[in-house]
Amino acid sequence: MSNQIAILLAVLLFPGGVFALAFGLAMKGVDRRVAARLQSRVGPPLLQPFFDIIKLGFKRTMVPAAANQTVFLYTPLVGVVSMLIAAALVPITSVYAPDPAIGNLLVLLYLLMIPGIVLMIAGSASGSPYGAIGFSREMALMIAYEGPLVLIAAAVAIRTGVGMGGWATFSLNDIVAYQQAHGSFLFDPVMWPAVAAFCFFYPANLGIVPFDIPEAETEVLEGPLLEYSGPVLALFKIMSALKKVVVLSLGIALFFPAAPANIAAGFLVWLIKMAVLMLVGITAVRLSMGRMRIDQAFVFFLKWPLLLAVASLAVVVVV
Amino acid sequence: MGLIPDFKQIATRSPWIYRINAGSCNGCDVEMATTALIPRYDIERLGCQYCGSPKHADIVLISGPLTVRVKDAVLRMYEEIPDPKVTVAVGVCPISGGIFRESYAVLAPIDQYIPIDVNVPGCPPRPQAIIAGVAKAIAIWRERL
Ligand code: SF4
Repeated sequence: MSNQIAILLAVLLFPGGVFALAFGLAMKGVDRRVAARLQSRVGPPLLQPFFDIIKLGFKRTMVPAAANQTVFLYTPLVGVVSMLIAAALVPITSVYAPDPAIGNLLVLLYLLMIPGIVLMIAGSASGSPYGAIGFSREMALMIAYEGPLVLIAAAVAIRTGVGMGGWATFSLNDIVAYQQAHGSFLFDPVMWPAVAAFCFFYPANLGIVPFDIPEAETEVLEGPLLEYSGPVLALFKIMSALKKVVVLSLGIALFFPAAPANIAAGFLVWLIKMAVLMLVGITAVRLSMGRMRIDQAFVFFLKWPLLLAVASLAVVVVV
Repeated sequence: MGLIPDFKQIATRSPWIYRINAGSCNGCDVEMATTALIPRYDIERLGCQYCGSPKHADIVLISGPLTVRVKDAVLRMYEEIPDPKVTVAVGVCPISGGIFRESYAVLAPIDQYIPIDVNVPGCPPRPQAIIAGVAKAIAIWRERL
């Protein structure tokens, strides 16, 4: 019973729920501010994403006549809930360890697919042709990046499992504990292909330039989000903020969980790592590149990240 | 502001902007799209953001004299913008038709069809004027929330 309550608290308060939401939105604010400064603009206030969410709460929700009302209104909720649960699955070194019953890499992989699927369903339920285009692009992109992700996860699991004298372990706690004891995978040459592949994967998964093809506002008018307005649109913004926290935190847990054993220091180190990942991997990339076409992105993913991921799996199995 | 923050006040710090081209010569659009967003004028500091979909918009910038051809499309687009919304007419075209005023193909003034809250005259108006117009629109929007 008490561990059910612990899981519930983890989902609703920390590291999921309130904390992940506030942190995700704050990261977005910093991202926009830094982006503006790099373009020598003043930029929005740091709390701008919070203002946006509150503003959306005041607006009217419109449902297009062509849409399937139930699906249209409730799919974003599924996405938000999946991300809340996912946030409770990712360990933060010496601060938070998920309950062994839920802290599983495979479960997390499935949960991470849900926001993409939610966008696809939302796009097609809206009955708008742009939503349909967004649907097909999202699907193509998912096919392109899910493969490498699964291979990366397998490489990490096997490396940990073999290191611990077994075959493969998908427990996130074990993965973190193993790296704490034997050094992070980031400094392990065998894992470098997987690290590189992950660096390609997460901009695509988070839908930022150059891989924001399904939601390109200049060509498909934000695709699946086109018909959404008001509070329901806010749910999508919340979902993507949560997803950002989950994916970046997962990257840290998989490859570089090293942190001091002290709770406060561990948390601080985690914050710094998140900030670096975000500024280098999201803000800088987003500003220095243009959007790819869907066919270019697809071919790109089948060429490099998939190759790297296969290579990393092969190396891990052989070594 | 007491213990509970004034959410309406906070909400007005996030006006999202949508542009409708009602048959403009593109002069005003260039001013709105590029000039108002380049570093020197940056309206993102007011919390503004250009959005791709009319359903996300709070403040509508309309340019052009409303030609007969686009009238239905513009009215439909205007309907798609969720309340509460504020309309800003950019350029002299929506006010009187501007240089197109004697044409048989224009329906200006635009406020016969759409309620206009703020006029920003000029052909095209200076970026500073557009920003002032947007700021005024935010003040009106605050009352409507
Ligand atoms: S006001 Fe002038 S610049 Fe603007 S659309 Fe009309 S003619 Fe073009």
